[in-house]
Amino acid sequence: MSRSAFTTGLVTALAFAVLILVFFALLGKPPFVMVSNLVIYAVGDTYSISQTFAKTTPILLCALAAAVPGRLGLISVGAEGQLYAGAIAGTGAVLLAPALPAVLLVPFMLASAALGGAAYGCVPGLLRARLQINETITTLVLNYVSVLLVNALVFGPWKDPESQGWPATAFFPQEAILPSLPGTRIHLGLLLAIVFAIGLHAFFTRGPSSQKIRILAGNRKVGEMFGLNFGFWVVAMMSLGGAIAGIAGIAEVSAIQGRLQPNISLGYGLTGFLVAWLSRHQPLVIVPVAFLVGGLVAASDALQLFAKVPASSAVILQGLLFATALAVPGLMKQMRLGFGR
Amino acid sequence: MDAELFAILAAWSVATLRSATPLIFATLGETLTQRVGVINLGIEGEMLMGACVGFAVGVATNNPWLGLMAGAFAGALLSLVYAFLVLVTHANQIGSGLAVWMIALGTTSYFGRALVGQQVTPLPNLGSDWMDDIPFLGVLFDQMTMAVPLAIAAVLFAAWWLANTRPGMQWRAVGESAVVAAENGIRPRLVRLHAIVVGGLLAGFGGAILSVDYTQTWAQEMTKGRGLIAVGLVIVARWKPILVLPICLVFGLAEVATLRVQSAGFAVSPHLLAAVPYLVVLLILIVSHIMPRRDTGMPADLKSVFA
Repeated sequence: MSRSAFTTGLVTALAFAVLILVFFALLGKPPFVMVSNLVIYAVGDTYSISQTFAKTTPILLCALAAAVPGRLGLISVGAEGQLYAGAIAGTGAVLLAPALPAVLLVPFMLASAALGGAAYGCVPGLLRARLQINETITTLVLNYVSVLLVNALVFGPWKDPESQGWPATAFFPQEAILPSLPGTRIHLGLLLAIVFAIGLHAFFTRGPSSQKIRILAGNRKVGEMFGLNFGFWVVAMMSLGGAIAGIAGIAEVSAIQGRLQPNISLGYGLTGFLVAWLSRHQPLVIVPVAFLVGGLVAASDALQLFAKVPASSAVILQGLLFATALAVPGLMKQMRLGFGR
Repeated sequence: MDAELFAILAAWSVATLRSATPLIFATLGETLTQRVGVINLGIEGEMLMGACVGFAVGVATNNPWLGLMAGAFAGALLSLVYAFLVLVTHANQIGSGLAVWMIALGTTSYFGRALVGQQVTPLPNLGSDWMDDIPFLGVLFDQMTMAVPLAIAAVLFAAWWLANTRPGMQWRAVGESAVVAAENGIRPRLVRLHAIVVGGLLAGFGGAILSVDYTQTWAQEMTKGRGLIAVGLVIVARWKPILVLPICLVFGLAEVATLRVQSAGFAVSPHLLAAVPYLVVLLILIVSHIMPRRDTGMPADLKSVFA
């Protein structure tokens, strides 16, 4: 990391720390106590750490899902919708073949989820590649559609008749549950996410296509002069991102909820987007940043239980973190120019 | 027979207009913001903030008009955060919009919990006794509030203002090229600040109409992407304020049609129907991009942020 990037990161962290303190003070809570509570609830004991890892997993996967198209210069905010699409496709696989042994069912379920997410990411990719429709808007609008599709399914044809009023599918058979560390909510999804991060790092820095993607991201026209097909890479990166978000969806359904039901994601798509942005779309930076933000989300869940601070405070803090990270580099640049004068 | 047909037509028209009204305000605001070369995804948050604050003030004062004005003010206030990020720190516009959205999402769910289940005094209907006998118009006015004519007036005024006044010309000049505008004595940053705040004002007002006038309730995340849809519809409207009206009515019609299909008792999942307006928006985005056009109407300075 370059020295200026390090300074910027440090100043951003400090500015955000000050904002957190001001935020809690404005809410009328003792700021320093609340911040130390946040840290304790995030990483204070094995239970907290397990919760933090549980939140980190979907955030990390969604961040990678946003970072993949981001490497091409695309701004996809579609991980939330792709997550739901993956949850649908993966659940469909389980409902289709519930009797398969786990060695077959888990890969089948994961592959279906990845395909579902990829298909859902492919659509805005195609629209961008073929018709020049801005992918940010289409991904944002499509997010609402797949969330509603999950509702339609679990209130309708997929509803478990034995669940009484509750809109959900039947619980997954044991063979369709992602393995997890005993006694924790740390499941296979986290391992997959880390493997993906390492794989993507290699792909984007050393892979045979890394140069092509870098050229296209830097200047599309130059890339096309070299014979690179921008449209192909748009569709490919959008689909790959979608596949990763799809895994996040089925992992939540299988390992955390145990069945498909509404609200499987608590805004992980948007949070993941934030993490990808903060990490400048670098997979290996995304891993620790996702852990930090996952800790924040997990800790604010605990704050809701123990300190009666609504969990939506985590969303406000994420917004403030995003705003700080956006503002600090520009402000520092202006100050440096100011001092130079 | 004719009277019946008229009544149905009037009922559909007024429902479409009412459903489109919040979106008209937001889309108009975003159109004006984009005309100066700034794309603000944060209007989703500004709308949400307007809906929340507008509803809260409407409930507290028993006065829907005060609620609407407070909503507009809240939207404008939040747009200042966006303006700071984009104009002062020169942050990325898409990222800044999403940050503002997140702040609004969290803040309104935090403070909005107290508003769930509250009752708000609605705006009075425009109809009066002597109108009831007029076919079509009688029904139309009977179910309409001032919000609808206000929206139409705002669109007409904005279209006229942008085309015919000196500040309107300055806004268009900044959108085409901030550099050239500056050479001609216009201050682009000031113009952009004005446009962002006007966009926030209109989005906040639209959000307040949604909660105070249209649904008359507060629910978490109740704008459900209307602000994001507005950003898309600006493209379909080709950055022309006057086209905001018909295009938002398409969305309104889609929403009303889904509600009617549902209440008519068709065995279609209400959740699937709720997805229809989003798909309609995607469809008109696709159609507007397929249609051949020489002049897209996109402000030239917008191209750097927005492909």
